[in-house]
Amino acid sequence: MDKIIISGMGIVSAIGNNVPETLQSLRENRSGIAPLRYLQTAHTEFPVGEVKMSNEEMIESLQIPKNQPTARTSLMGMLAVREALENAGIKLNAFQKRVAFINGTTVGGMDKSEQFYLDFIENDTKNAYISTHDCGACTEMIADYFGIFSQVDTISTACSSAANAILLGAELLKSRRADIVVAGGAECITKFHLNGFNTLKILDTKPCRPFDATRAGLNLGEGAAYIVMQRCEYRDVRDERPQSQICLSGYANTCDAFHQTASSPNGEGAYLAMKKVLENAGLQPADIDYINAHGTGTGNNDLSEGAAIERLFGTEKPPVSSTKSFTGHTTSASGGVEAVISILALQNNFLPANLNFKNKIEELNFEPIFKYSNIHIQNVLSNSFGFGGNDTSLIFSKI
Amino acid sequence: MNKNIYINSIKQISAQPPLTDEWFDNPVFYNEQYIRATDADYKQYFSPLEARRLGKILKRALLTSREAMQESGVQNPDAIITGTGLGCIENTEIFLDKLVREGEELLNPTHFMNSTHNTISSLVAIDAKCHGYNSTYAHKGISFECALQDAFLQMQSGKIGTALVGAHDEMTPAYFTLLKKAGYLGVENQVFAGETALAMMLSTEKTEKSLCKIENVEKFYGDISQYAIRDTQIDHIMVGVNGNAATDKIYYENCKKLFPNIPLLQYKNIFGESYTAPAFGVYAAALCLKKEKIPNQLRIKNYELRIEEKKTNKILIYNHFENKNHTFVLLSHNF
Repeated sequence: MDKIIISGMGIVSAIGNNVPETLQSLRENRSGIAPLRYLQTAHTEFPVGEVKMSNEEMIESLQIPKNQPTARTSLMGMLAVREALENAGIKLNAFQKRVAFINGTTVGGMDKSEQFYLDFIENDTKNAYISTHDCGACTEMIADYFGIFSQVDTISTACSSAANAILLGAELLKSRRADIVVAGGAECITKFHLNGFNTLKILDTKPCRPFDATRAGLNLGEGAAYIVMQRCEYRDVRDERPQSQICLSGYANTCDAFHQTASSPNGEGAYLAMKKVLENAGLQPADIDYINAHGTGTGNNDLSEGAAIERLFGTEKPPVSSTKSFTGHTTSASGGVEAVISILALQNNFLPANLNFKNKIEELNFEPIFKYSNIHIQNVLSNSFGFGGNDTSLIFSKI
Repeated sequence: MNKNIYINSIKQISAQPPLTDEWFDNPVFYNEQYIRATDADYKQYFSPLEARRLGKILKRALLTSREAMQESGVQNPDAIITGTGLGCIENTEIFLDKLVREGEELLNPTHFMNSTHNTISSLVAIDAKCHGYNSTYAHKGISFECALQDAFLQMQSGKIGTALVGAHDEMTPAYFTLLKKAGYLGVENQVFAGETALAMMLSTEKTEKSLCKIENVEKFYGDISQYAIRDTQIDHIMVGVNGNAATDKIYYENCKKLFPNIPLLQYKNIFGESYTAPAFGVYAAALCLKKEKIPNQLRIKNYELRIEEKKTNKILIYNHFENKNHTFVLLSHNF
């Protein structure tokens, strides 16, 4: 079986505009959740995990024309893909390989649509943004900035979009449809989904507290994160820097098939995703050294996911934390953001903390890890669960 | 070892009569720029509460999926995969309109819950109680082929044996107006803007009802000059021409270059233009192979190559979107 190695990664989120800043924030327990700064909304009561850059600053960094219609989702995506390609040592014009770009997003260019909606209908001065609204358009804006991709895909499974992008990337590599894959996701905060989550009453007015008995909802985040994946044999396209020591050793996608926006009480979909990912990786529960949980901080998710973890791991339960306490819930990007965090944990042998935890959930028999610690780890399981019960689990391992 | 993959059933709701293949013999033609789908009699299939709660796209998706499953005899597919260019745009629009016009206080959660793209795949999974693989592709005019390729790859590698693959897009009057402004729909001489609801059951097991075999699904972004056809036995190419001279030209040029001397067929004159319309190209080709006949309405008038009256064994469905995305689906009768 082909090993899928991770040869590079890039990230922008509330805790940093690149991989080194992200690592530093995790090591220093520094959350990026803060009062609203960039999004214009009436709901200033909700703290959020915004990327600490304005659109103008991103455009400046990317050196793209100021009048080019571009959604914030795409701007963040370009920043993260640029870092991922540099990090992997992939020269943009160095080879003739088939490079696939697989992007996960759901709100896409909604930031511009909600801003210019009435103008589209009445004034026709911003119509260039009509074509930047949909998910595929956001993916292509990112792809076209680099001009190296021979296949593009957009996956939209809500909060598991980026994890499913990584999963598809592995399939494309294994079936030899692609030689190099850049996969992950991007999503900016919009009034649309901030309000949507508010109508569902799942936003907390305080910093979120995943797996805490007093948890009262999630904090919306934003960001973009991608990993570069190759089959082992394609290591030769990289330059002379040290080879990657991390691989994607397993992936699984299941459906809770319970409710459009709620998880089943026993976490059936989550349980099946974690069970199948272990089978796919050929690992036992005891082999997992750390679970980077979906852990949104909502009453429903954490109880359901916790129950699934207990069912599957029993007494062999590894340390669990949710890093959404750092980044907020970056929705479609979260599978990518948490893949990068999981890989950082493996590369640097540490467990990121579950911030803001104080009180154990009565119904669960475990507490998340609430302190940063250095420890040797071999296999990390990362969960991404979306609305509609779209549950995906990934395992990253040292080679 | 690669497995054989068959299309065992297809059910559709479109501008043609719903849930039948009647269009094959008696197509309905339209002169309008924009036509909504001819809905089925939902009272027969949904409770009044369900019918009210679910938007058009969801009712259509549920019904075509149920019927495709029923027809194929597979009630619990290993995977449910949907392609949708815009997702549940009607609910998205309602939520967005209220948000922009009335502010951020009095919004309805139901519209938001039913606004995401993956609502479709997950609703079908809830309905059929399927805990298997579930995914959604939203990539403009190739969303359906993305979904089809995902199913195809997983079936080839033996990961799954059956997959329900859907193509679903609704078109609201307001969004039609916007996409007309964007130059995608309502272009002069272009076929009508339509709606797509189509579900097909794929299986590695052949049955009496199998329509055809899927030989390959390929997608390219940008340059297709490297595309080298490995199959010289193609009898027809089903292309997505829609009357828009600028985009039709790409089909004619590329077909001349890549597949000289192979006659072309069309389907958008029957089913209209929509992001997931290429699913109708696959459907029309599959039906031609099954019925061993090519109806006149699929032939392109004045196209320079005459169609010879011989048995059709292989049809290639070629779709391009904005000359950036190019997809190829090869179907065969040889099984």
